[in-house]
Amino acid sequence: MSIDLTSTATPEALVAIFRRVLEHDDVAAHSDFFELGGDSLIATRVLSAIARDYGVELTFDDFLLAPTPAGLARRVAGTA
Amino acid sequence: MSGPAPHHGGVTSAVVVGAGLAGLTAATGLAARGVAVTVLEARDRVGGRTHGIAAAPGTQVDAGAAYLGGRHTELLALMAELGLKTTPTTMLGASRFGLGTAHTTQDGRFPPLNAVALGDLFEQLAELTEAVRPDAPWLTPDAERLDTLTAAEWAEQNLAHPDARLFFPLFLGEMMAADPAEVSVLHVAFYLRSGGGLRYLNAFEGGAQQDRVDGGAHQLCERLADRLGPRVRLGEPVRAVHQDAGQVTVRTDHGEHRADVAVLALPPLLADAIEHHPALPVRRAGERTARGCAVKVHLVYPAPVWRDHGLSGWSVNARGPLLSTVDDSPADGGIGVLTGFVTGAEAHRFAALDPEQQRATALRQAAELFPMLPDPLGCHVTDWVNEPYSQGCYAALLGPGDWLRLGPSLTAPHHRVHWAGTETSTAYFGLMEGAIRSGHRVVAEILARR
Repeated sequence: MSIDLTSTATPEALVAIFRRVLEHDDVAAHSDFFELGGDSLIATRVLSAIARDYGVELTFDDFLLAPTPAGLARRVAGTA
Repeated sequence: MSGPAPHHGGVTSAVVVGAGLAGLTAATGLAARGVAVTVLEARDRVGGRTHGIAAAPGTQVDAGAAYLGGRHTELLALMAELGLKTTPTTMLGASRFGLGTAHTTQDGRFPPLNAVALGDLFEQLAELTEAVRPDAPWLTPDAERLDTLTAAEWAEQNLAHPDARLFFPLFLGEMMAADPAEVSVLHVAFYLRSGGGLRYLNAFEGGAQQDRVDGGAHQLCERLADRLGPRVRLGEPVRAVHQDAGQVTVRTDHGEHRADVAVLALPPLLADAIEHHPALPVRRAGERTARGCAVKVHLVYPAPVWRDHGLSGWSVNARGPLLSTVDDSPADGGIGVLTGFVTGAEAHRFAALDPEQQRATALRQAAELFPMLPDPLGCHVTDWVNEPYSQGCYAALLGPGDWLRLGPSLTAPHHRVHWAGTETSTAYFGLMEGAIRSGHRVVAEILARR
């Protein structure tokens, strides 16, 4: 599996990850993951996808502090 | 209800073997359409893998199947018909975890393990789950390879992080009472898909553990059996099923029962233990089909005292016997009940202990896990692994080779013998919902006979 460290975690890219793991399209940049029906199990899938796509390992607490596509994109940018 | 209609392809009588949810659903459906039914049950009780035990005088708890969710539509319909209500499974407060050297308390259900590593595990499981053919797992792309591989071998090849390796057997134990060494990875993927997917099957609120049957799930079968009355015969283990051109003869230790058709509403290992004439073209269980490994431990407290400490009662533990605990207190505000789940390989070890050792080890662990709580008033152990007339719980575990060999004949009648039981339902396999759906299917099959 290749990690493209040059790619940027945009809110749009995070929206796509949310849509895939939540299995519905009703996701916007500022949608709250848990209000969209997410739970801790599928939150870890988002963290795994972020690690795979951007080479950044966020913790579960990081996720809880910013559980939106836009918030997570900022976290990834800040850590990368 | 319309009056009896006597002719369904000539079927006027049926013997149903097994008075669990599948058998009693089938018997009730056939009786409602004018078929004369006899239900033969080996035990001295109905209910099969649902069973109520007295945790305190007048308070029954689920020693067997317990949980349901909103997608379990046939179960909810049956409950409504029988006048039974749901009660929510409560999950408010902090969890206890025993995953390292010490026990820790944390908000929510998320274990203190590497989140990315667990995410990698669930991403891979989700991919397998989405790829499986839910109606016919043996036709899944790459089925041959997935059917050959055990879940333990799959984990060895695919899980790099120690936290993922630690959590995977706990997850399989909790989801399907399986030791990863005993199940094929195809069966894992199928089971997760059949139950509604990873998230639904794992979730309490909004998932498969959202509710319980108020007063106990055993009431479902008791009420169905009450309606059938003397047509249900207890203490009648079936030994043989003989078919001739016209009828089927079901033999027990006490006599013979002849009918136009028979319904075997049994787990596959038990269906195979019966002598069949003519012989079955494909057996019901394979070489590697294993017993679901679950032992339930009920710890009884004067009240749900953990709630006073801000705890939900939920815990996850790497060391047994209690690999997880959940608040199963009755809704009436009386006693508190923590249910400990002993599953997978740990269930085999625990089941081999004598009853005193079982209670002592369970109580010792409860004291370590919840040192803030008083000692339980009672401790009840229900061993499904060694239960002769279930041979495991939650459900049979299909091992390497089983799905490809057994799958195509899962529901195919053997002349006048039809198959029911939760293991014959590709929807909600292993759950009460699957048992009921299999009962409905078999009624439709029999009414359509020519």
